[in-house]
Parts: sequence; structure tokens; C-alpha cells
Amino acid sequence: MSDNQPVLSIKDLHVGIEGNEILHGINLDIARGEIHAIMGRNGSGKTTAASTIMGHPDYEISSGKISLDGEDLLELEAWERARKGVFLSFQYPQAVPGLQVGHFLRKSVASIRGEDSAKGPVFREALKSAMEEVSIPRSFLSRYVNDGFSGGEKKRFEILQLMLLKPKLAILDETDSGLDIDGIRVVSRGINAAIRGSDSGALIITHYSRILEHVKPDYVHVLIEGKIVKSGGPELALELEERGYEWLESGNNGGE
Amino acid sequence: MNASEEAYLSLEEPPRSDHLWRYTPWKRVHPTGDPSEIPDEISTPQIGLSTINGGEASGISIEMGNAISIPFEGSPVSNSFLSALTDGKAIRISIPDNWRSENPLILDVKPTGGLDAIHIHVETGKFSEATILTRVQGSSKWLGILRTGQTGVGSFLQDVFVNKAHDGNLMRVDALRLGRDSSVTAGTVSAGSTWTKADIRYHLDSPGSNLNVLGSLLSADQMHLDHHIEISHIAPNTYSRLGWHTACGGNSTSVGTGMLRIEKGARQADAGQLFHNLLLSEKAKANSIPELEVEENDVVGCGHGTANGPVDEDQRFYLMARGLSEQEAEDALVAAFLNSTLSQMGNEDVHAWLIDAVEDALVGLNT
Repeated sequence: MSDNQPVLSIKDLHVGIEGNEILHGINLDIARGEIHAIMGRNGSGKTTAASTIMGHPDYEISSGKISLDGEDLLELEAWERARKGVFLSFQYPQAVPGLQVGHFLRKSVASIRGEDSAKGPVFREALKSAMEEVSIPRSFLSRYVNDGFSGGEKKRFEILQLMLLKPKLAILDETDSGLDIDGIRVVSRGINAAIRGSDSGALIITHYSRILEHVKPDYVHVLIEGKIVKSGGPELALELEERGYEWLESGNNGGE
Repeated sequence: MNASEEAYLSLEEPPRSDHLWRYTPWKRVHPTGDPSEIPDEISTPQIGLSTINGGEASGISIEMGNAISIPFEGSPVSNSFLSALTDGKAIRISIPDNWRSENPLILDVKPTGGLDAIHIHVETGKFSEATILTRVQGSSKWLGILRTGQTGVGSFLQDVFVNKAHDGNLMRVDALRLGRDSSVTAGTVSAGSTWTKADIRYHLDSPGSNLNVLGSLLSADQMHLDHHIEISHIAPNTYSRLGWHTACGGNSTSVGTGMLRIEKGARQADAGQLFHNLLLSEKAKANSIPELEVEENDVVGCGHGTANGPVDEDQRFYLMARGLSEQEAEDALVAAFLNSTLSQMGNEDVHAWLIDAVEDALVGLNT
């Protein structure tokens, strides 16, 4: 693996569900330490892209490649991708009544980072520190995974997992949706703590530029109708905030 | 011939149209398969009472050989048959008034391996607080267990029945009356016996009584589990909930029938039942039939429901995205499904004890 090899590389990716193609040839490279943002309206294919990278079985890949550190991901199941270093912060995290948060975190960390990382004082200290960072009280550990959590608690719990699992690639699917300003600030603090200064790459999927004020992206891409129509620096997010997406839609002149 | 034998032999074999015997005919439950027979060679299983820490259950009185009748009417066939086998005699466990202990009690029932029957009667004193974990374990050809009881005014009882018999048939009949303002959590944890037929009944015939019935059942291999739970609200201001979770694997069959009865005069009764079956193999069968009989108009609520289905694919994907293999994710979801009722059966010590009691059985569900 060369130093300049992207942590995530997507080449000409075509993806559909139940016979309908949603992504029409996506190309994206994320280098180590880079944060990319994909912005787009509802239904533009953002969640399809995130779910496909994670390996959701409902999505059919008709052509294209996805690789992590040069290794083909498409033949791997979701759990294998997670163990290779892919993390998805879900837009709608699943509740699992009966599965305690503390047990789940240990099991997940053991699966991805090895048994030794999930026990002893090192784990306890990492857990304590991450919980403080995202303002999650200790009482959460005895609750059930996402069961009865508020929208903000679910998102903070996703970021807690991100911090503990230390992935090579973090995909954050609308982590800011449903959060108030304080909530966005807290999850952003967690994202920055997990990604900034590390070798990890991150892909932030969002409608709005607000979270990008707290987690500065290196690159911003605009996804419209399953295609990346424009890419740029962080200033593109501000431009979208001011101008919306209409100027980039087909028939208008702004698209690439 | 004693009165119970006479009573039993005077009865007709119950028809399959009877709600109670629809899925498991009496002939199949009977120890010899011949309903006209009352077997002579019946043994009494060994019993032992201790605390969860292995200490003595101080202050609790146990008396053998008491003549105790079943506190209210139930199935004539089951009741008279078990009374006949136990000769109308019970082991009476009495919790004194105001008795409280941090340590749950373990009541061990060890069958002899042949045909066994036992009647256990529990009485809780006024304002007492007790947790009794009844554990059946060991090898058993046929075990009939009759559990009766009465809770005292203002008392709290956590009563969990854990079946870990290696094999054989279990016939269980429960009849518990709840005293005024008493509160009962009644758990069933089933991880044993090849065949189980249970007829579990509660009478809330004193005002202010409160009942929470919970089930965590593992049905694997060729097992056949049939549980009937009947809750009768008779007095005003009574409350009950039932949450019954069964994980069904292998070639097993599980049946849960519920009868929720709100009698005339049970004003402001509040009752609900939910049966939930998790189907883990294509050959596993699950039937849940909750029924309601409401004769009182002035109720807070009265509802029932049932849900059957396989492991939720979104939940599975979520766990797989966190590094759990497909099988690990399924195992975790099955354990969580059972744990969501198991964890309500008692405090942390009880929960840990119950988890320990069923952990090995969870592995068997995959077969």
C-alpha cells in the first residue's frame, strides 16, 4: 500500500434497488486524514451511497468498484467491511430492546479491534473519555441499544461508537439531522476528536452546511439524481447554502 | 380411592375444541398416554430451599404434607389429576408478615427420573417482600407440578419458574390469588423438557392488586411448548400486563394461548397482553392466541396482541455494521429478544442468575 493511495476509492459505481438504478456512475477518492462532504437533496442517492459502501444487501451493484486501502470491498459482507475499518453512522440507528449498551460496545470493539481492546482499564478509560466528549452519562451503559433514546441521544451514541471503533473510514449519514444547535456542536466535537489528527478518512453526508461549520471538510461534492455534479472546497457548501441546488440541476449551467 | 381420584375418573376426556387442549391433547400430556389411568408409581421430586448465595433461607417455614386445595376453579382434568397424583397434599412455603430479604430464594426441584408429581403452595405474609426462583433441573420422564398460592395484603412477590429439565414431559398448573394491594411479578423461563403443557392462572380478586406476567422461552429441536395463561380481573382497580417472548428454532412447536377476563365489577381494571414469537428456522411453528372476555364497561384499558416473525433484517444489518458476523448478530438478537422480558423478572442478581441459567440453551437454538 503506497502512502498516496486513497483510503476510499470509488470508481464508476452504478447501484440500484429492486431494478431501479439510483447511482449512475459515482467516482470519489478520499485520502488519509481528509474529510469529504456529500450534499444533496432528499432522494438524490446520498443514503444509497453510504449503505452501499457499508455493504447493505438490498442494494444491487451493477458495475463499478469500491476499495478500502486498495482492497476490494464489494466481495465482503458488512461485518467484514466493519472489521476492515469501515464505519457507518446511521441516519436512523436501530433500537435493539434487550441488548445492553455496555455489552454491545464491548462486543463491537472486540469484533473490530480485538479482544484486548475491549477489556481492562484501557477500554474503560477510552469509554469514559469518549462518553464525556459526547455528553453521554454512565447510566446509558445499562440501557438497551437505542431503545427509548431521543433523536439526539441516538446520534450521540453513534458518534460514541465512532470514537471507540477508530475506523479507517467513517461515513456519517445525516448525523446532523434532527439535532439542535447544541446537539450539532456536541456530535461535531466527537467527530473532530475521532477524525482530526488521525489517519482516518471521513465522508459526511448532509443536507445542510451547518455541521460543516463545526467539522470543516476538505472537499464538498454535490450529488444530484445519483451523480456527483460538482466538487469543490469548503466554500461550495456556503454557496449551496445561499443558492440552493437548483442552479446545479440538469438544464442549468452550473453542473459539471 | 381418594376424592381427587374419583373426581378425575368421573370426567370425560376433554375435546380438542376446548381452548385449553386445542394444540396439545390431554392424551399427549398424560404420563402413560391412557387418560383412563391414574398411575400408581409416582414419586416426589427432591426439593431444596436456599438463598441465591447458597445460604439458608432463614425465617421461612416449610411444611410437608399439608392438605391444601386449589384456590379457585381451573381445568377440572388437570387439577383433579395432579391432586390425585399428589394425594391432595402440598409442600407449604410460608413467608411471614413483614419478611424482607435482599437475597432471592432458590427452590430447587429435582425429579427422580421416573414419573414425578409435586404440589407446592406458597403464602406470602402481609407487607412481605420475597423473590422465589423455582428451578426444575435434571433428567425427568414425566413431571407434574402444581403450584398454588396466595399473596398477603400489600406484599411483593417475584416468582420465577425456570425449567431446565434435560428431557421428558412437564405438566405444570399454577393457580395464584393476589391479595389486596399486593404486587406480583411472575416469570417463566423455559429452556428444558421435550414437551411442556402449562396452565397458568391468576385471580385478581382483591382491589389494588398488580400483576406482571413475563415469559422468556426457548423452543429448540423437537420441543413442543404449550403455555396457557389466564388472568381474571375480578376486583376493582386491578392491573395486569403479560409479555411473552418465545424464540422458536429447529423443528419445534410453541403455543401460547391467553385468556384475559375482566369480570363484571372489576371497575377501572387495566390489562394488556402481548405474545411475541421469534421464528429462527423454516420448520419452527408458533401459535399465539390471546383472547378477551370483558364484562365490565368501566375499564382503563384492555388490549391484546401477537407478533410473529423472523429476526429483523435492519437490526441484523446494524449489528453487522458494528463487526458482528451474521451468526453473532443473530445470536445477539435472539438473546436480546429473550432478555427484554427476562430482565424485568427481578433485580440485577436475579437477572445475572437467570442469564447464567439459560446461556447454554441459547446455543442449542441454532440447531
